[in-house]
Amino acid sequence: MIIQTTDPAANPQAISYHRCTVDLRSGKIVYADVPCRNLDDVLGGFGRSFQDLAERRIANAYCDENPLIVNTGLLTGSTAMTGLRTYFSAYSPIKGSKKGLPAAMWSTGSGKFGAKFKWTGLDELIFENRSERPVYALIEETADGPRVELKPAAHLRGLSTHDKIMALYKEYPDAHFAAIGPAGENWQNNYMGAVALSTENQLKSGEDKCRFAGRGGMGSMMGFKNVLALVARSSDKTKPLSAAVKAANINVIKGGGSARIQPLSRGGGGGTWAAYDVMQVFNAVPVNNFRPQGNALPEKLFRENVEPDYDIKSEACYRCGITCHNNISEKNPDGSRGEFLAKFDYEPLNLLGTNIGIHDAGQAARLIQLGDNYGMDSISLGVTISYVMAYNERHPEAPILNGASFGDYEKARELIIQAGEGRLPEIGRGSMRLSESLRETSYAYHVKGLEIPAYQPETNPGYAWAIAGGHMSMGTYGMLTREGKSDVDSWVKGITEEKLHIVGFDMIGLCKFFDISKGISTDMIVDCLKSEFGFEVTIDDLRRAVRRAFMRGLALELRQGYSRDEYDLPAEVYENPNPHIKLPRITTPEFMAELKKRVWAVFDKEIDAVFGSDFIRF
Amino acid sequence: MQIQVRLIGLFKTGRFREETRSYPAGSLVADVVSDLDLPREHLGIVLINDLHADLESPLNDGDRLTLLPLLDGG
Repeated sequence: MIIQTTDPAANPQAISYHRCTVDLRSGKIVYADVPCRNLDDVLGGFGRSFQDLAERRIANAYCDENPLIVNTGLLTGSTAMTGLRTYFSAYSPIKGSKKGLPAAMWSTGSGKFGAKFKWTGLDELIFENRSERPVYALIEETADGPRVELKPAAHLRGLSTHDKIMALYKEYPDAHFAAIGPAGENWQNNYMGAVALSTENQLKSGEDKCRFAGRGGMGSMMGFKNVLALVARSSDKTKPLSAAVKAANINVIKGGGSARIQPLSRGGGGGTWAAYDVMQVFNAVPVNNFRPQGNALPEKLFRENVEPDYDIKSEACYRCGITCHNNISEKNPDGSRGEFLAKFDYEPLNLLGTNIGIHDAGQAARLIQLGDNYGMDSISLGVTISYVMAYNERHPEAPILNGASFGDYEKARELIIQAGEGRLPEIGRGSMRLSESLRETSYAYHVKGLEIPAYQPETNPGYAWAIAGGHMSMGTYGMLTREGKSDVDSWVKGITEEKLHIVGFDMIGLCKFFDISKGISTDMIVDCLKSEFGFEVTIDDLRRAVRRAFMRGLALELRQGYSRDEYDLPAEVYENPNPHIKLPRITTPEFMAELKKRVWAVFDKEIDAVFGSDFIRF
Repeated sequence: MQIQVRLIGLFKTGRFREETRSYPAGSLVADVVSDLDLPREHLGIVLINDLHADLESPLNDGDRLTLLPLLDGG
């Protein structure tokens, strides 16, 4: 970036980001320094990409005019802890309105690719049109600035995410990588393709320990464009920690921001896996397609019940002290660590474990690993499989696909393989399309076309207003469970004021575990921006930028044809309330009607004031 | 008074899963947390008889107190 101001909120145009636009059809590559339009642009991520997406009218995700935007955040590659994020944005093949229009979407992941990308000197890479032949993009730091080159990638076709990365690593041992798997290559029949991002640990160990930008089918978009991988080659530009950033980083680790995510051995909570224990107290761990049964089945995947049989190692992303990864390996007969299986996070473990009736840790790990290797979003994949199993349970006389039922590991595995290879569009295109084709939509657990994560919808009416995935773009998933909030006032306030700020992390380049409860509008971030860039930015400046970016996302949804009826929870929540969940029942039709009325009263007014009614009519 | 205390997740480690314990009348949730030396930075949810409460909530004889760690992310 070229920075010629200390006040990015008042003078954003005095800051330019370095963009490369690649026309995949013609091979033409154009570089530009683009002045920022506002602080949202300066911060980056979806704050910038959604402004560019808003300039286009896209009716079908798989069209030449739909760009794939790869960018970073302001603090990606900085000394601020967790500054590793890469963002992928486009109109999504999987998330879309009932009107048939694709929704704007972003997805993000860590790993070291984002930092390497930033260190090449590039801030944003836009792919236009599509390539006739499979290619990968080599992004290199040179004496004359960043250079992007397209290279033939036929040799990578068909390889898993991990194998693609390792094949490229042999050729570029000083680089980091983003790659799709077979699912993304089979974009016609698989809309849930993810992008895998390489980690230091993966490259050194040779084990498939990628990180993923999973949500919204950005890997399928890459596949559609025929870009199988990205290679970012640069020297490491780690600079000494300033006192201010050091203090912020210490606060992240010790000050409570991430304490709950730290390993148990350091007195932490043990990563997101620990959510199992908490949710089970309320019988709110999703079981068999989001129908908790009020029994102890979920406890089989509690850490304490997995640890005796498997090796669990706490590991971290590059230079991150949070160490949130719980990497599961087989345990050899002598107790030593065996083959690496998978990383146990709450979402994939539940949605490819308990929620499809799999209660064996080894089987769940194998399914997670399989989905990761094919490069699919574990949330969309798991929830679509659980829908199939729920359908088959209701129709034993006429089951669909391979007749998979809850708990059938072999058949679940078969579904993942077939979907990953593009042979099962019923799974690959997600639960919304499948349930509509079967005319049984009430128990398809998606909101606005995107499958929900492993928090029961009965506990989170806020899903309706999440703009890019149910829990990471609307932080209300703990309001009932954690905070005990069951009144409409609190929920209106949560959705329209505080909880939407979780998306700030998807602008600035940091992981949400930097400070998931407070967001980016904090003194810690202000101090980091001052130290890294000399910026005089206030907490209020940041809050306004994050809120504006969120509102833009919501406005873009409306523009893509979402009706107000689509801002809702799966119908089963109302039609067949689950008697086992031990929390106040807030998701009644009356509660939701009142909540919708009051939330839209706030959001409509603001969207109109900020963007004008023409924005939605575009 | 007798309080049935239930610990969840990491709070169980080195302590217990569920135990009936004696506390003086008038005790608050915070007194139990201190007594058990639970790390407060991890305390996320307090339930008394399955209803949400907080550190300053008073306890009554026969109450069932559940202490849970924080819940975050996925």
